[in-house]
Amino acid sequence: MNTLTAAWVQSFVMVAFLAAPSFADDEETLKKDLTAVIALHGLPCGEVVAVKVLAESDYAASCKDRNRYRVYMNAGGRVVVEKQK
Amino acid sequence: MRIGYAAVLSLLLVVGCTHVKPETPVSEPKNVPTQPGAPPPAVKPAAPAKPQSGTAAPAAPIARAQAPKAAGTVAPPVAKTLATAPALDLKTLEEQLKDTKAIGFFTKITLKNQVDDLLDRFRQYYQGKAKLTLTDLRRSYDLLMLKVLSLLQDEDQTLASAIVSSREAIWRLLADPKTFATLQG
Repeated sequence: MNTLTAAWVQSFVMVAFLAAPSFADDEETLKKDLTAVIALHGLPCGEVVAVKVLAESDYAASCKDRNRYRVYMNAGGRVVVEKQK
Repeated sequence: MRIGYAAVLSLLLVVGCTHVKPETPVSEPKNVPTQPGAPPPAVKPAAPAKPQSGTAAPAAPIARAQAPKAAGTVAPPVAKTLATAPALDLKTLEEQLKDTKAIGFFTKITLKNQVDDLLDRFRQYYQGKAKLTLTDLRRSYDLLMLKVLSLLQDEDQTLASAIVSSREAIWRLLADPKTFATLQG
């Protein structure tokens, strides 16, 4: 492996290191957002611990108390929270 | 050269791993009085005065509106601790709520939905279409304010304080059918 290749590999690792906290922050922000949304709808949750993106503005949220919800925005611009079995 | 590259890499690594918390919200009230003794500005309607047809209040709801004044005088403890900022006008309040980083996107949309629902209930009340009292509406208003404040108070205290200060003025706008009609854009 020559010096140039080594430099590229190290740069790639650096980018990964720099990007990782950003992704983690985004995920935490989304979890916090969905936790607040579920609470605003008066539904039990506690805290969202996992989020799966189903589509744009459409999420499956798993709560600490094991409740699961689909949170999405409907055509009328309303945020809908549906309990999942 | 090799040592220099390693040093730069190490520096970048340190910078990359240093987690910087989001900066404190910059949403300062735009109309803070410059003189210490100046009274806070009154809340004014955001939308231009454009009453919708059919929003004129019937006599009965107005009569009911006079009765439950006691409900408007009760403020929860959180209001006392945060009430230090000057009151905001509705337009500024709306802008600051849109801009604040303390509330996530979906939460903002949900709050907007709930504000719209509350305004619909006011509309129905003034049109005499719903069996509501002003006390019911005040309860809903207080609950919505508490939701907003609980979302803001930890991460955007400036805006939370401004909302607490504006709370009664906003209620007065809503509770008066004439000023409420001017809010309908």
